[in-house]
Amino acid sequence: MTDFLAETWLLWLLLSTGVALYWAARSRVWFRYVYRRYLMALVTLLTVSAIVFSLMEVLPGDCAEKYIAYKNTQGMVITQADIDAERSRMGLDKSLPERWGRWVTNLTLKGDLGFSCAKRQSVNLALGDRFWLSFGFCLAGLLFAYLIAVPFGILSAWTLNKPWRDHNPQHSAARRRLNTLGLSLAKISDLLLRVISYLGLALPNFLLALSIILLYVFAGEATPTGLYSEAWKNEPWFAASGFQWGKLDDFIGHIWLPVFVIGWAATALQLQTVRALVVDEANKLYVDAARARGVDGFRLWARYPVRHAISPLFNSVGFDFQRVFNDLPIVAVVIGLTDAAALLIEALAMTNDQELAAAILFLVALVVIIMNFITDIVLAAVDPRVRSSVMGSGGH
Amino acid sequence: MLSAILRRGRNQSTDTPDDSYYTAGQLALIKTRFLTKTSGLIAGTLLASLILMGFFSPFFSPVNPTINGADPDYRRGAPQWLHFADENGFSMRPFVYSYRKDKPKLDLRAMLKNGGGLAALDKLTASGALSSSAQNRFIEDRNQRRYLQFFVQGWAYPLLQIDSLGIDLRWDRHLFGVEQGQVHLMGTDEDGKDVFSRTLQAVWVTVSIAIVALTVKLFTSLLVGGVSGYFGGKIDTILMSITEAVRVIPPIPIYLACAVALSQADLSPVQRYFSIAVVIGALDFTALARRLRTHILVERKQEYVLAAQLSGSSHMRVIWQHLVPSFTSYIIVDTLINFPYVILAETSLSFLGLGLTEPVNSLGVLLQKAQDPDIQQNMIWQFFPVLVFVVLIMAFVFVGDALRDAADPYSERNK
Repeated sequence: MTDFLAETWLLWLLLSTGVALYWAARSRVWFRYVYRRYLMALVTLLTVSAIVFSLMEVLPGDCAEKYIAYKNTQGMVITQADIDAERSRMGLDKSLPERWGRWVTNLTLKGDLGFSCAKRQSVNLALGDRFWLSFGFCLAGLLFAYLIAVPFGILSAWTLNKPWRDHNPQHSAARRRLNTLGLSLAKISDLLLRVISYLGLALPNFLLALSIILLYVFAGEATPTGLYSEAWKNEPWFAASGFQWGKLDDFIGHIWLPVFVIGWAATALQLQTVRALVVDEANKLYVDAARARGVDGFRLWARYPVRHAISPLFNSVGFDFQRVFNDLPIVAVVIGLTDAAALLIEALAMTNDQELAAAILFLVALVVIIMNFITDIVLAAVDPRVRSSVMGSGGH
Repeated sequence: MLSAILRRGRNQSTDTPDDSYYTAGQLALIKTRFLTKTSGLIAGTLLASLILMGFFSPFFSPVNPTINGADPDYRRGAPQWLHFADENGFSMRPFVYSYRKDKPKLDLRAMLKNGGGLAALDKLTASGALSSSAQNRFIEDRNQRRYLQFFVQGWAYPLLQIDSLGIDLRWDRHLFGVEQGQVHLMGTDEDGKDVFSRTLQAVWVTVSIAIVALTVKLFTSLLVGGVSGYFGGKIDTILMSITEAVRVIPPIPIYLACAVALSQADLSPVQRYFSIAVVIGALDFTALARRLRTHILVERKQEYVLAAQLSGSSHMRVIWQHLVPSFTSYIIVDTLINFPYVILAETSLSFLGLGLTEPVNSLGVLLQKAQDPDIQQNMIWQFFPVLVFVVLIMAFVFVGDALRDAADPYSERNK
């Protein structure tokens, strides 16, 4: 019984979530939406797995050939018959849909991501916690991007179409001078920040990482490549003397580089998005109406356009994550990281390890889909505009 | 464009639009609004001149950028600066100095006398005397000037070449050059190829890849978005769920997989160039296709579509002749905004050695060299393409930004 449960735990988890949602959906409209969204996410996941799995077929070679080629280097003589025998033993002679079906079944039953031929171990083992490492990098990079992009994107939207000087005849001369100063400052800082953030976009990530490493080389200091420096590489996190703070310090001294590099590039894009969203909202009539009621300045911006611009931004977190992860593999190659992104590049370009590459891509897509799912249902619960649009047909 | 910037300063008071303003088409409005954005105009001028220089790169470059133009006497050579004056006097015509190779003095005899052996050779190697940069030292000869000439004769290049029509116009004039030898404004690489000329050539190759990729992208998005939005129903559901699935997968790993597959196939450089562009373009359809679908879902209920259908137009005709044109301005702006991202994708692929490779010359190929420690330490001038690349992308982004603002129909109101 326990064996059976251990073999199929993921399926039960998915099923019971579905049933619980269905049951809750009978009485509450919001849960009906969540249930629908849950089914959609599962369907998307299935499509993603099919796309990823069949795309990886374009990589040259298959597992049997590689395994036999390895044996060949050990001095054995290999014939075509051996390769064919190995192929049928691994089930590679089956058609693509059959192999995909087996992969998906194993995945949904027990979360088994397949078998990596280059590493000759299961993908779950080969990945280990490296995926969480990449996940952490991306989240930290995103956080960095949001922290800069949101306030300055709003500022940028505010300065758009504002004059450099205050010409309002109702203001006193001193007030006009003060306003002119403030406007000029805002405009200049907006322009500067746009240039700097676009520089992050224009300098491709790998060049940015390279230049930072070069700076360290010219300064004659140890470059922060990899995850740890030599001294801490083999130290455990928890020694006899308790938690190793030195290792944490060393770790942070190294990981800021990838986070900064991918964060900078993401900032430019976020800045553009925030700016466009806020500009869009600021031009709507309800803002004019609020202004007519006498709301002005900071209160007007914070309460009306900005507040409404935040929810599409929150909604796009999943895709932002995908975009950030997209940049990570090349940065990982340059910096010499050992996370899932580096593993992905290795599997794609060097070892042609189909199932490992497919599994990593699938995991990234999984994270994006989960994030989209969460942001969608949270917005449906919080934002009345979204609620009425997605549940309007649900019979309110 | 420059005149438009200058004009801006003068007529700011004439803000009352006349009739032509209200009857102008969407594109004309965008153009008018774009011309009021200073940063966009400056970036646009820069961009236009860069692309023009890239397109007519044989004319603008003083040296043949291919291996045929490589200067075997000036390998790993530093940039030759343009001078106007030195201790020998002033000249209105800019000039560069001629150079001679500094023969490295390797005293192998002394090494033998000191006992010789591998240890001594190791010491010599470690001292750097045998490295290629030590072997290629050049000394400027300040007494021998090479004056810059304009419209000089150089290597012949095709001005217009259409093989199918038998047209092959050739020209051999170049904007500038020197009479004796060659001029290397940005130095040369390890084979003696001129960095400046190669960069100019690479600009156009990269931009043309982006153009091909964006055209392919446009067609796939129009097809997916148009069909999905026009027919709706089941087709829409299926197409959109596939689009949704493609959207969540990070694209660069997918490009990588396709590039690896392409590198197995035996392709000529030109075929490879086109297949890379098509791969980049074909997978990038999701955002535009979704936008198009939403637009067409709304528009297809309009009366003009019904009228077209009743007059017997085919589905394709309704989509292409009636529905898509109502969306042209958005499509154009979106395409322009996407240029930098496509260029970045190509560069990333080439950087990993999976995109274009050496005989073909793109910015990604040139950028790949930045990885080489030898170049980082001894030939810093080979970072010139990096600079051009950054300027190119920045120009694209600023033009895109200005266009986005110009295309926004509400931007006029809050002036």
